[in-house]
Amino acid sequence: MSKKINIKKRYLALFLIPGFTLVAIFVISPIIGTFIISFETPSGFGLSNYYSVITQTSPTKALVLLNDMPRPPPWGALIHNLVWTAIHLPTTTFLGLVLAYLLRRVYGRSIVKSIMFIGMVIPMVVGGLIIRFMFDKFIGIVPNLCGLIGLTWLDKSWTSYPDTALLALIIGSVWLWTGFSLTIHAAAIDSLPKTYIEAAKIDGASDWQIFWKIIVPSVRAATLTVIVMTMLWDLKIFDIVYAATKGGPGGASTVLAFVMWLYFALDLDYGKAAAVAVILTLLTLIPAAIYIRQVMKRG
Amino acid sequence: MASVRLESVVKRFGKVVAVNNVSLEIRDKEFFILLGPSGCGKTTTLRLIAGLEYPDSGRIYIDDRDVTFLEPKDRDIAMVFQNYALYPHMTVFQNIAFPLLLRRKKLGLTKDDIKKRVLEVARLLRIEELLHRKPGQLSGGQQQRVALARALIRRPKVWLMDEPLSNLDALLRLVMRAELKRLQKELGITTIYVTHDQAEALSMADRIAVMNKGRVIQVGTPDEVYLKPKHVFVGTFIGAPPMNVVKCKIEDHDGRLILSCPGFEREFPPGITPKKLPRTKEVVLGIRPEFIEVTDKPEPGTIKGKILVVEPLGSETILNININPEGEETIIKAKLPKLTKKYSAGETIYLKIDWSKVAVFDAETGFALT
Repeated sequence: MSKKINIKKRYLALFLIPGFTLVAIFVISPIIGTFIISFETPSGFGLSNYYSVITQTSPTKALVLLNDMPRPPPWGALIHNLVWTAIHLPTTTFLGLVLAYLLRRVYGRSIVKSIMFIGMVIPMVVGGLIIRFMFDKFIGIVPNLCGLIGLTWLDKSWTSYPDTALLALIIGSVWLWTGFSLTIHAAAIDSLPKTYIEAAKIDGASDWQIFWKIIVPSVRAATLTVIVMTMLWDLKIFDIVYAATKGGPGGASTVLAFVMWLYFALDLDYGKAAAVAVILTLLTLIPAAIYIRQVMKRG
Repeated sequence: MASVRLESVVKRFGKVVAVNNVSLEIRDKEFFILLGPSGCGKTTTLRLIAGLEYPDSGRIYIDDRDVTFLEPKDRDIAMVFQNYALYPHMTVFQNIAFPLLLRRKKLGLTKDDIKKRVLEVARLLRIEELLHRKPGQLSGGQQQRVALARALIRRPKVWLMDEPLSNLDALLRLVMRAELKRLQKELGITTIYVTHDQAEALSMADRIAVMNKGRVIQVGTPDEVYLKPKHVFVGTFIGAPPMNVVKCKIEDHDGRLILSCPGFEREFPPGITPKKLPRTKEVVLGIRPEFIEVTDKPEPGTIKGKILVVEPLGSETILNININPEGEETIIKAKLPKLTKKYSAGETIYLKIDWSKVAVFDAETGFALT
């Protein structure tokens, strides 16, 4: 019996080798390489890359820049990422869930869902460009609407001013990413037996109570997926920033990935770029760990 | 408690008429069953009463209050679904308490009141030990009880049940049948119950409405629908095995009416005198399998037949008999409680039919002539 299993195991290893080799060459080795480079300095190995990246005070490359608060951005790329997540994550998650619930009875909902999903399908660079147009003083819908309802101080090109650039990107990313939350939640709601909602109706629940007491807890697994994927997306965000503001004006909308790109592509300082990359990777491990733990819990 | 009345209710889904001009009167404290094959409109009728659908025309009354377009929550009803619809994220306690929690303020209940009521209902249904569990950890029968408890907790005017036993295994279904009937009688809640299982309907109902193709074909007590079907559909849908149907012609032989059937002839009427004769002179005889006896030798009035299949069922035996061995095969099933002799396929036997219990239907319309 055990001999049989051993043979099986040997075969298993044989089949694993090609896949594992590819992963090792193209995924694991670059990660290890980056990790090593992040410690390489002109004077040998050390932590100086990390030190100078973290203590950097130039607004375009700083990770944390919180002196003289409160004041408008720049606050440093890491803070921008965190602010981004703090606004974008709850908004898209909740908006997608509410829309999925409301659209469930709407005729032609698949068309609406498809339109919402376009934000996810288009290249993010194009998305960034659209955001720039959306917030333009002359052709943008947002500044014009703000002007119409009397918010004249917002009737300007948002991406050109440090106090509004980051906000414009965040709001724009809500618009781009809500389709994801909507699609995942709509699928989860569609897969619930219709009788849950009907039973709740007969039990006396209002639409709002059905939403909070039945729908939200029933689609928890889907919501967790949305939260984790959105957190990862918020941390990794680069292309929107690149296309819409280039981190500007004056570093008011930089993010970690963008700072990494600056070190790498403009300064050709690979050590510091690698240090930012490692920091970014460590941060993305947090949502990944949450997700893995939840999945393991559910067995 | 309450009575329920439906007046000429029509419900269409696109071009399909799901419920076609249904009028029903369900009495206070009655166990009323809507019976029919799948797609006959029985569940839609129940959903109309529940308020999960609204009719295209007609009115629905509960206790003489017009509820036709009221929201489900304003009708004072409770419903048990086929899949039980227990909320998987709530414990059994929370599931049962849910209808009360939603109305807590309106009813002026404290948390202790709710707890007391849940325990009371749980005791009644013998699920006290399960209160802290989640529905996923319960067996089908236990889930069924929890669903019943949730439907009971509010002490609704009307209990609606959509095939609540069909997800249970056969043995448990028998147990729950009796239990449900006892519970309904004890509590005296007007109950409307949907099923496609004729045995369930016969064993539980005070009255049955047999439905087909969106229409109510017959309303009556289990005995009435079983023994006096108003339509050939009712006869063939109810009973296991169902009523035998034999298509015959009425022929005029010098003023004497003769019933000419495949394999035999007989004077018309065969039993009870019909009110009128069918237009086409064609009738369908409905013979219940248990009103047939068999003998080995011909006697006056017996019909000759050849056994095709013998189905022993323990307490009874069902014989499949071809009564027209010379012509087009016409099969009749006979249900025999005690067999004095062991029959086998291929044997020739003689059928003795209790003609006083044979139903005669118009072959064209299907409606009973008697």
